[in-house]
Amino acid sequence: MGAFKKDKTMDEDDLSDVEEELESKSDSEQELVPLKEPSKDVVYNEDGLLEKLEDIAWPENVDWMHKLTIDHEQAADIDVEDDLAREMAFYTQALDGTRKAFANLQSIGLPFLRPPDYYAEMVKSDTHMLKVKSKLLVEKKKIEEAEERKKAREAKKIAKEVQAQKNKERAKRKKEDIESVKKWRKQRQQSGFAKGKDEDPGFNFDEGNSFERSKKKRPGVAPGDRSGGFKKQGWNKKRDHRESKFGHGGRKGMKKQNTAESTNDFKNFNKGERKK
Amino acid sequence: MGKKRKQAEVQEVVKKDDTAPPRPKRTLLGWKDGAVVKKSDSAVFRNKEKVLVTCSRRINSRYRHLMMDVVSLLPHCKKDSKVESKETKGATLNEIVELRNCSSILFFECRKQKDLYLWMAKSPGGPSAKFLVNAVHTMEELKLTGNHLKGSRPILTFSSNFDEEPHWKLLKELIMQTFGTPKDHGKAKPFHDHVFVFSIVDRHIWFRNYQISVPHNEIDKVDRGGLDKMTLVEVGPRFCLNPIKIFGGSFGGPTLYENPLYISPNLERAQLKREKATKYVKKVKAKTRRKMHVMENPLEPDEFADLWKE
Repeated sequence: MGAFKKDKTMDEDDLSDVEEELESKSDSEQELVPLKEPSKDVVYNEDGLLEKLEDIAWPENVDWMHKLTIDHEQAADIDVEDDLAREMAFYTQALDGTRKAFANLQSIGLPFLRPPDYYAEMVKSDTHMLKVKSKLLVEKKKIEEAEERKKAREAKKIAKEVQAQKNKERAKRKKEDIESVKKWRKQRQQSGFAKGKDEDPGFNFDEGNSFERSKKKRPGVAPGDRSGGFKKQGWNKKRDHRESKFGHGGRKGMKKQNTAESTNDFKNFNKGERKK
Repeated sequence: MGKKRKQAEVQEVVKKDDTAPPRPKRTLLGWKDGAVVKKSDSAVFRNKEKVLVTCSRRINSRYRHLMMDVVSLLPHCKKDSKVESKETKGATLNEIVELRNCSSILFFECRKQKDLYLWMAKSPGGPSAKFLVNAVHTMEELKLTGNHLKGSRPILTFSSNFDEEPHWKLLKELIMQTFGTPKDHGKAKPFHDHVFVFSIVDRHIWFRNYQISVPHNEIDKVDRGGLDKMTLVEVGPRFCLNPIKIFGGSFGGPTLYENPLYISPNLERAQLKREKATKYVKKVKAKTRRKMHVMENPLEPDEFADLWKE
């Protein structure tokens, strides 16, 4: 009970603290809130503004050539957050303005466009433009590479499917073959192992292991061949032989082991030399 | 070859036409201007705007690049060395403007290495406007493909809402005078191949710069198809001006306008910080609320509590 009381008192302390904090926080919130609304006690001296405008403004009858300004009727509501819409609005304003301005310039009758053979200093230097170009190229390359990767991935997927299909077929064929052997056996049993036209089950095992893969790790390559079967392709026979004998990779052990022929082959022994 | 020469001749003709207003006669003592100016009524007005462009000390590289971009866009500007952004900067700037014979000034003021303010002022008589610059992208960092002649006069396009309120009107006039290249300026080229966009969206002035590209073989017949085939390519830079205040004088004088919606970036950051800091307070608050709730609604004594005791 005592402990409980103690807890309670502590709680009350905490609460009062927190309440204080809350009050302070609400104070700060009161500070924050009005900032989002327009403050009311701002200066807005309309007459002063207009007076100043008159002061600095150019005379009314100034030729348009001096000003080069165009006003553009803007669409009513442009979402500022929507980058695309905003930029589009600016672009249309610029385009519209340019059209009007060019019409005006044309009415004046002077050429106003840069002739194609007029070269002068540009705002952006050539090195800068080169950078821009290289950046564009890099981006293009990136996109192309990404596409290629995507294609490769898809091709891989397809290849996998094809492989799975093949495996399935192989298994199916194996099963069928086994079935047919069983069937043939049964038939023979039923017919009392009589020799007849049932003799030949119609398999041809000679055709090879149709449903089994070859057990050789490197089909078509001699066991001692260190060239990995490239020996066949070469044109320099001696070189090829040496490659297969001394080249990289493969097992050496096979070379050093005796075979049935090599045990009986005394061709390489010089019999006379020792006796001398 | 002959063709080229022909075009060169045409250009010469153009230049002559451009400098059409008759020059005052030169006498031994100098220009004989008094009488001549009165003679030609249409040529009375001559835009002699010169803009001083400077920035404050300790400016960010990015903002400095923005300033350099602006300098490259305005052939009629003079760049000056950096100015310490103190309380008295207005006086020093006015002095510099006078020394350099300029009539207006663009002052890029960087504070805390992250906030950029732009002062746009007409020099001796005012007015001056102070903007907060947002969404800054310099030419260098924007990998935009457009490019145009250095010094060609821009076409200035304004959105129609510049004419709605007096302060926008004043800002339009200010912008037109500072950003428009004076006709027949020495460094200006007689062609028009880029266009500035000043547009008010969400109470901010957005700036864009586009190159006007017309297919070359169409140049002679712009009146027919060329105008439709014209395309714009953005050149940069980009920035967005948030007007803060407009003063009557240059860097001072009576305040004519204050933006009611303006929150200084300092305050904004402070708010964000405070929001973050209240995370712990919120947690504690939730805990105590839970405790209060438990204390207020105690569980009823369980009637099966000592069922298995025996």
